[in-house]
Amino acid sequence: MAVEVLATVDGLSFGYPGGVAAVRDVSLELYAGEVVALLGPSGSGKSTLLRALAGLVPHFHGGRFSGRVEIAGLDTRSHGPAELAGTVASVFQDPEDQVVMTRVENEVAFGLENLGVAPELIWPRVEAALADVGASQLWARRTVELSGGELQRVCLASALALEPQLLLLDEPTSQLDAGGAEGFLAAVEQAHCAVVLCEQRVDRALAIADRVIMMEEGRIVLDAPVAEARVWLSARRPRYAGGLIAHDPDRRTQAGAPLVRLDDVHFSYGDGPDVLGGISLVVHRGEIVALEGQNGSGKTTLARIAAGLLQPTSGTVTREGRATYLSQDPGRYLVRETAIEEVALGVAGDEVRAAAALESFGLSFATCRHPRDLSSGERERLGIAAVSVPEPDLLVLDEPTRGIDPDRKAALAAWLLEQADAGRGVLVATHDPLLPAHRRVGLDAPVEVPVAA
Amino acid sequence: MSPGPTTALLAAVATAAFLTDRIWALAVMAVILLVICLRAPVQRRWLYIGGALFSALGVIVISPLTWSSGGGTLLWEGPTLPVIGPVDLSTDEIQIAIVNGLRLAVVGLAFSVYTLLVDHDRLVSAAGFARRSALAVALATRLVPALERDAAGLAESVRGRGVELHGARGYATLLSPLVAGSLERATGLAEAMEARGFGRSGATRAPRSAWTWVDHVALVAAVLLVGVAALWL
Repeated sequence: MAVEVLATVDGLSFGYPGGVAAVRDVSLELYAGEVVALLGPSGSGKSTLLRALAGLVPHFHGGRFSGRVEIAGLDTRSHGPAELAGTVASVFQDPEDQVVMTRVENEVAFGLENLGVAPELIWPRVEAALADVGASQLWARRTVELSGGELQRVCLASALALEPQLLLLDEPTSQLDAGGAEGFLAAVEQAHCAVVLCEQRVDRALAIADRVIMMEEGRIVLDAPVAEARVWLSARRPRYAGGLIAHDPDRRTQAGAPLVRLDDVHFSYGDGPDVLGGISLVVHRGEIVALEGQNGSGKTTLARIAAGLLQPTSGTVTREGRATYLSQDPGRYLVRETAIEEVALGVAGDEVRAAAALESFGLSFATCRHPRDLSSGERERLGIAAVSVPEPDLLVLDEPTRGIDPDRKAALAAWLLEQADAGRGVLVATHDPLLPAHRRVGLDAPVEVPVAA
Repeated sequence: MSPGPTTALLAAVATAAFLTDRIWALAVMAVILLVICLRAPVQRRWLYIGGALFSALGVIVISPLTWSSGGGTLLWEGPTLPVIGPVDLSTDEIQIAIVNGLRLAVVGLAFSVYTLLVDHDRLVSAAGFARRSALAVALATRLVPALERDAAGLAESVRGRGVELHGARGYATLLSPLVAGSLERATGLAEAMEARGFGRSGATRAPRSAWTWVDHVALVAAVLLVGVAALWL
């Protein structure tokens, strides 16, 4: 049977305005109906390639473009993203940054209206798309009231409603728990179109992929069927082949002094239901405690309470020493004009200590650069440097592995173990079972918490 | 009620507030809008209601001291300050401050009702040829809670490093990253919209329910309200 070529990328090179080349001489073909896992470290050019396939590069971003990208016979140099919409559909990493309308059904209908679909067909297609992703019950809900996982499903429904020939997914499960991610990817598997899935949780991507493309430094270093790719990855990039990042260290036989003790802690946002109902937890010096649970189970709330940023509705919290807290998506919440000022903020402006911290996180080159000029990976490292420079007794980290590649995850795991060995307590809220921990605490009975909370 | 007539009615109330200087009329409008605002979810409404009422209170308390009407009964005479000039308080100034404060409250509460309770999607859909403008207004309105969320995230990021923000000057340091963050969000949203075909010619509209008699009555009431305020209030 002849395999239909859906998209052709021929000698594509691209650099963002003022930046170095993000993609270098990339050539590939995508075939109708196949699922392609697009792997690679942060900054390797995966997102740029997806944007080129959607026509957003160069039309939306500008920059230096050479080569040719053709989707279903449409050359992206002469057909912009709006013209390609419908043939191509994209789901980006952060659902909050792509939602346009205030109600779910209108959000899914938005793209169909833009494409000029006949009015009488719009609501049936919206209904079918929501059903396909298992989100029919969200019809008529306000988008601001949805959890991150629900919102990401709505974004997928919005893309599938367009009945695209090519679906581009840029780390769509990075905010989802294991169950949510499985449900999302199951819906992707049912899509009747070619899929390019950029994903840092490699095992998830390989489970549904027919073919694997791996990029490094803007170039394709692997393009092979999934079975062949597994062998290649095992031999050359073992961390991408599902290898453990780090084994859990042995549970401490002699626990250090308690740094934070929570007794029968309850918490609710406003008049809402209890997000935490009677939680008790102790974190000692020298141990890593992982807080695990589904989206909405209260991990972030508990982490904030442990760090002293929230007061419980009832129950007691006893804390010893200084605690620092790294929020989810720390790159979004950088507050100073240069990297060194950002890090020095936590040590009363001591730039000597800040410079040392920047050096230890490999960010010396960014000392005088604006934090928002750094890449997402560099911003995350800057966030970690900023909370660790005060040498706190207790480090509280909320989803620190979100969207980071296996190599950086391994580096983070090693760093966490170093912190524990240095006598610090570490509390990590995480969906990631591969992060090392002395103890794992499961929070169950998830309560629906909107993104806005 | 459909969002079009609702928005027209709210705009009419805000316009009427500028056309009248009767305190009782302004107070009635403010109270009605306040009661409507209380139908919004508890977590979301207080920022808007508080913002509208505290701004109005600020105008009522501070503005009489910052200018002299030269009329009414002089109740108190204070010192002469640089830039501001003589500080005094008269019955005229108090009355005018109450009128201006109530006007501000009416406009602020009308905006709160629009933000909290109007279905912006249907408003965009009903906008016809002005859909782009209506969408821009709807997205700008949604920016308020996004900014609120980002501000809370920035403050938490600072407090998470053991640094407390003190007073207006402390929080003012967050303004620059807040603006930068909202620009990043706006860019991301624009990219996502373009990828979904926004701006392409030949767009259609999903069918919506037709106006009811209540919507027609609301539209007539909006016109009447402006007329009454202009002629009799």
